[in-house]
Amino acid sequence: MSDDPVSTFQFLGLTFSTANVVSGLVVFLLVVAIVFFTSRKLAMKPTKGQNFLEWLIDFTNGILKGSIPAGDVGKFGLWGFTLFLFLFLSNEIGLFIQVATRSGATIMRSPTSDPIATLTFSLMTMMIAQFAGVWKLGYKAHFANYMKPFVFWLPISIFEEFTNFLTLGLRIFGVIFSGEMLLGVIWDLAVSHGIVTMIIALPIEMAWQGFSAFLGAIQAFVFVTLSSVYISQKLELEE
Amino acid sequence: MLSHLVVGQTLYFGDSLFYILSFVLLMWIIKIFAWGPVTKMMQDRADKISNDIDSAEKSRTDAASLVEKRQAALSNSRSEAQTIVSDAKSNGQQQRDQIVTQAQADVQTMKQNAQKDIEQERQDALSDARNDVADLSIEIASKIIQRELKADDQKALIDSYIEGLGKQHES
Repeated sequence: MSDDPVSTFQFLGLTFSTANVVSGLVVFLLVVAIVFFTSRKLAMKPTKGQNFLEWLIDFTNGILKGSIPAGDVGKFGLWGFTLFLFLFLSNEIGLFIQVATRSGATIMRSPTSDPIATLTFSLMTMMIAQFAGVWKLGYKAHFANYMKPFVFWLPISIFEEFTNFLTLGLRIFGVIFSGEMLLGVIWDLAVSHGIVTMIIALPIEMAWQGFSAFLGAIQAFVFVTLSSVYISQKLELEE
Repeated sequence: MLSHLVVGQTLYFGDSLFYILSFVLLMWIIKIFAWGPVTKMMQDRADKISNDIDSAEKSRTDAASLVEKRQAALSNSRSEAQTIVSDAKSNGQQQRDQIVTQAQADVQTMKQNAQKDIEQERQDALSDARNDVADLSIEIASKIIQRELKADDQKALIDSYIEGLGKQHES
């Protein structure tokens, strides 16, 4: 993919990748549409859409409750819900829609198959974790946590923040990126020798697509779970 | 720094800004349209359910106390009914006895009265008959006397009377 030409544009002195902006926008609109249409006509006795939405909210709250102390879950609920929905749709959308310009530059794919998107989210998690730590424990206790269990642990603690940031972002990127890349490879196989390879490639493509859909869901779940774990680590005083 | 860190891909940091902004915007939209109302509704539902459970518990105890009350009232009314029935029975018995005694006394009185009346009637009839007989005999006697006491007889009578007077004087 790195060999393909990339469509970019300049705005406010920053360089944007068209693919990321377009697919990000598509996912954004999808999330808004889903949330908007399932939250119409809210009632005490939930109907179809509301049931789905409430199940989803319970699900993401459940992920957060797994690690964040019960009293603080409510403050991260909205963030966890939005993150999960956005990542999930980001992971899945590239499996079904991939658009490229005639010159070969992709303009529509999974936003999470680009490390900048996943690292952005992972950076956001790290920053929320820092802020949450300061908010909950105060500056002194928060930064004292870096020097536990003893003072010489400080470099390791700082280094750990960076590794957390990188692994969190790159894990989801790697899975989604490889999934899409293999889909492309299978497609190349399918079109290599006409109808025969097409027939052979079809079940492989279907199997891989299904597997990737599964992996995408898992990765979204893992991302939110690990994010809540990182946050919860900052919320409590280490012994 | 990170630009060429990962699989040689170029990273465009504008995208990072774009994602952060869109994510924050998305969170805001979700909060306005769904998160706020839905979590409020879920909270309302949880409250309602706990209220319903409380009120169900309350109505259950209410029903139990009502059943107890009704049971008590039922047994009360049963004993009351028993009292009423026995009262009525004894009253009836008393009344019957009274009526029978009364009737016996009445019958006795009536019998005595009747006997007295009959006696009276008999006496009256007897005295009437006696008077009638006396009258009749007087009438008959007067009639006989009137017829006999014609001139001759009167004379004979007077004669005999005078003769009797003479004899008396002589003796």
